[in-house]
Amino acid sequence: MDVQRASDDLRRRTLGGIPRILDRFIYLASTRDYNTGLYYHDGLASQFPADVVCEALANCHREVFHQLIAAPVEDLVSQMEGYMASSQSRPQDFVAVWKGLEPYRVAVPIETDPFSAEFLFSNFKVALAIVEERLEKSPQSLRGA
Amino acid sequence: MIQLILFVGLGAGLLILIYFFALSPEPRAEGGAQALVEARHALNSLQTGLLPSDLVERVFAEDDLHFVVSTTGATVRELFLRERKRIALFWVAQVRKEVLSLKQFHSGQSRLYARLDVRTEIALALSFARLLILCRVLQATFYVGGAYAAPRVVGIAITAAGRVCTVSEDSLAFLTTRTGVLHHNAPGPRVAV
Repeated sequence: MDVQRASDDLRRRTLGGIPRILDRFIYLASTRDYNTGLYYHDGLASQFPADVVCEALANCHREVFHQLIAAPVEDLVSQMEGYMASSQSRPQDFVAVWKGLEPYRVAVPIETDPFSAEFLFSNFKVALAIVEERLEKSPQSLRGA
Repeated sequence: MIQLILFVGLGAGLLILIYFFALSPEPRAEGGAQALVEARHALNSLQTGLLPSDLVERVFAEDDLHFVVSTTGATVRELFLRERKRIALFWVAQVRKEVLSLKQFHSGQSRLYARLDVRTEIALALSFARLLILCRVLQATFYVGGAYAAPRVVGIAITAAGRVCTVSEDSLAFLTTRTGVLHHNAPGPRVAV
């Protein structure tokens, strides 16, 4: 019950202010400790016990992950362009880093089945290639995306 | 004539399969828990990770293909087709692996827990055989023609896998209803049957 309330609170306040699914996905992954796999959120921790907060964040992370998997490539490309534009980095640098480091690989929820994860990685790879191609064609066009 | 030979061959193959299925040694209780856990894992994997209709439709959705073909250059197009082929092959390999795991459970341990009559067992053996053949057909088709080469066969395979899952679910039902130990907490997406 508490987990449900915490999840609703998270969806309404924090995630409600993040327009794109991709941004939510990256944000939720960033609330997870690399070493323990546990999720932390200071705002929610002031209202709910730590284990409830962790479970609520994990639930929302899984939910957003499934939304991303269900997204068509076209949608993923526009989300990636939006995310790239909202980041402070140069588009060319962003593409180079995402191609090289593939940061999305560490952003999937724990216990994700291998096929779903691999499908998302594959879609990210294709979306990134499309973004890169568009950048090469007209480097200025994506700045304000 | 060739068709007749093919049908006769297929029939003979299925009869041999049923024969071996019927002659398989009496299941022993030792190691049964492990077999149950593996079967439950295979079933969960199929139902929540490999067969949900929305996921499979997304993987083989032609709107992605149309978008890529109409808006990108040759390099990206090739990358997309290569990636989808890889994903399709990965998908069918995973489905086959989990189906084999379920088949092992049914041909070995399930008789200890679920009282299936002979007719059901034969029907199940045929379903497994059909599904495994379909998986091989899909593997060959994807390998040669790519991910979009056999949309109808994908649909048939998913339906067949769904049926096998339903029977397996019934065989493993006592595990969840009596103990609830291995029950998945998160409600998974529905399987396309």
